Amino acid sequence: MRRGIRSRAEETRAYWAMILPAFILYMLVLAFPIILSIVLSLSNYNGGQLFGGAQHWKITGFQQYERLVNDPQFWLALKNNIYIVIASIFGQLPLGFIFAYLIYRRIVKFGDFWQGVIYMPAIISTIVLGIMWSVIFSPTGLIADVLNKAYANSFSQSLAQIFHQAGGFTVNDDIVKKILGVSDPKALTVFANPAADLKTMLLTYQPGQLTVMSSDLTNLLARKWTPDFLAKQDLAMLPIMFVVVWCWTGMYLILFLANMQKIDPQLLEAARIDGAGEGQVMGWIVLPLLSGVIVNSAILCIAGSLNSFALIWAMTQGGPARVTELLSIYMYTNAFVGAPNFPLANAIAMSIVIFSVVLIVATKLVEKRYGGKE
Amino acid sequence: MKKLFFFALALALFVPIAASAQQTTLNFLWYTDATQATYATDQAIWAKFKADNPDINLNQEILFSQAYHQKLSAYIAAGQIPDVFYLWPSRRDSSALIHDQKLAKDLKPLLGADFLKDFVAPALDVNQQSSKQLSELPQSFTYTSVMYTNTKLLSDLGIALPKTYADLKAMVIKLKVKNIQTVLLPDGDQWPAQSCLFSLISGRLLGDSWIDQVIAGKVKFTDAGFVNALKFWQTMFTDGVISWTNIQEPYGDGPGLFAGGKAAFFIDGDWRQGAFLTDPSTGKALIDPAKQPTDFAFLAFPAIPGEKNPGVVSAIAGVGLGISAALPAGSDKEKAAVRLLKYYYSPEVMTLNWESGAFTPSRKGLTSDKLEPFSTMMPKYYASIAKTSYVLDGVLEPEVFNTLNAGLQSIGIGAKTPAQVAAEMQKAQDTVLAKKK
Repeated sequence: MRRGIRSRAEETRAYWAMILPAFILYMLVLAFPIILSIVLSLSNYNGGQLFGGAQHWKITGFQQYERLVNDPQFWLALKNNIYIVIASIFGQLPLGFIFAYLIYRRIVKFGDFWQGVIYMPAIISTIVLGIMWSVIFSPTGLIADVLNKAYANSFSQSLAQIFHQAGGFTVNDDIVKKILGVSDPKALTVFANPAADLKTMLLTYQPGQLTVMSSDLTNLLARKWTPDFLAKQDLAMLPIMFVVVWCWTGMYLILFLANMQKIDPQLLEAARIDGAGEGQVMGWIVLPLLSGVIVNSAILCIAGSLNSFALIWAMTQGGPARVTELLSIYMYTNAFVGAPNFPLANAIAMSIVIFSVVLIVATKLVEKRYGGKE
Repeated sequence: MKKLFFFALALALFVPIAASAQQTTLNFLWYTDATQATYATDQAIWAKFKADNPDINLNQEILFSQAYHQKLSAYIAAGQIPDVFYLWPSRRDSSALIHDQKLAKDLKPLLGADFLKDFVAPALDVNQQSSKQLSELPQSFTYTSVMYTNTKLLSDLGIALPKTYADLKAMVIKLKVKNIQTVLLPDGDQWPAQSCLFSLISGRLLGDSWIDQVIAGKVKFTDAGFVNALKFWQTMFTDGVISWTNIQEPYGDGPGLFAGGKAAFFIDGDWRQGAFLTDPSTGKALIDPAKQPTDFAFLAFPAIPGEKNPGVVSAIAGVGLGISAALPAGSDKEKAAVRLLKYYYSPEVMTLNWESGAFTPSRKGLTSDKLEPFSTMMPKYYASIAKTSYVLDGVLEPEVFNTLNAGLQSIGIGAKTPAQVAAEMQKAQDTVLAKKK
């Protein structure tokens, strides 16, 4: 009996001896920063040394949290974050799964090649990708250039047709009316009185200047790609959501493909022999078998979405006019841009943690309710 | 033989250690645009300092634009402020914390009256600095709203130089038909619109005394006068004088676009002239020195309808170097930092910076026969300005001017009205006033 008690004590000591290093490491690396962040979010700390510095700070309560919930920018950033989470869960995961299935079942040829192509963005620096996409989406970038050239060509052809029908260079009310009809209404705002002003302008050209006049009119009146969507807060996130899906779908493709390859092929063959179509095999066999992986991927997705910073910072820096700010960028700008407010930045960090936990718990509940068993 | 080998080994190990022990390490956070033509001169300046001062180990970190402010803010948050840093006299971003917390030393006693007597009086005016001490020695007096003008482009199109805003508006169609923007003001970094143009608009329409009153809480941003200033900004977009594309255009793209003839006017600070000059490392210039005086001019923004202060241009004491207050008085580090500052503000280095177009120095009595035309044209531009006004990020609190910065973009893309932006600014100002009570 005595020997038994001693053994239990020894076991306890051994248990603590083994657990303690990891526990201390955990406290230092994970728990301490979180606790410190909570403390700072409740303080009036304004930079400098935490202990023994010239600046003294104290606990001031929940002021920053109150300020946070009253700041419309916080709710906009949260909403933008939700968009990113939605794009990730309902974009990256289904696409990743479908691409993986197509490759796994050899429905598409050159599976390895497509796997490499789709995964490629995940191995390139997010800063490089962000800058690349910001250039593509910029008002003077690729999309604008291609669209504006297309609009200009179309307008130029319309002009040629108008003057061809009129038998060459002619200026009259009918021509002016026709030109106004094919012009971009937004471009016409440069004129106080479009019909009269355009006619006056056309009369300044000589009959031999039809080419010059066409070129000038195209520059002035052809439709231009405008960022109207930027004025609408919800639509401003669309390019970013697209890039987020494009960037990370490959990672989930690899995850799903690796797990699909663990499924016993005979199971799928038996289903096919029993007359199941590819859709049924995917929906009724592969999908349930991968439900655990899907949940874990969803958790990765949520964590990644809430952490996402570098890609979007490189793309927009939260602009224009802060309409594409996420919680992480909102936190960063409050900590390091303009008037640094470290307690508020820490309060935002805490809100990100709370939001993550809520989403992860919700994901687990959904999996428990609807998920299959591997 | 073995003894000799070990002696040689010990010597080889000991000598570098002893040498490095005698070196004083200075952490130096420096601000410069590595893509600008002035960068080669800048590199040469610091290479010479290192060569001339082998006892100082200069640990230099180089950043530009918002990245600089963000990094300095992070250093301040961590209590790891660099020994020497680039500092704004105003409340611009990270500089506000440095001034508020007196994180920079007063340079007057450190540099000494004999050294400082060679600088122009406005540079030494402590009222220009948020900390009310000489936390940095302004290297220049900065005009933030220079209208760089492509006179050849205008004259080729038969357009006269604008005297009023109506003239500017009238040329929009003539320029647009040639696919040329009227005013280029890249605001992708969010501060240029406020710092380089709206400060001037506010100075012209309201004046500094009104800004003083709003800071004191005696008037409000929601008052008609300020809303009208924002409305004028909005009008510039609806008139097509400024294109919406400027809202997304990165700040660094401005000089290239202007030099490439994509706009008739480019609005930026006087510091931007350096971007157009000859890069000594390549021998190339964005604007050929021969064409600088003939094809280009520096103008003040034309008259604005309803302006109370005609001709006013926004200006502020320039940036400069500061020394960390954490350096112990009389320490080797402090002495090294002072040596660095005295080198940077020496006639030789100031002249080099003047010649490279980095800035027009605040040091008196400098001469050079190597100045490119733009560098000689800039003092003439200064002389043409009768009166200056506040640069708003130099006087308003960061919470307020950051709201303005984002608000100007919102107005530009049509997301908010001037009244909405004014209300947001007043809310931020109310918070600032409440904090001060």
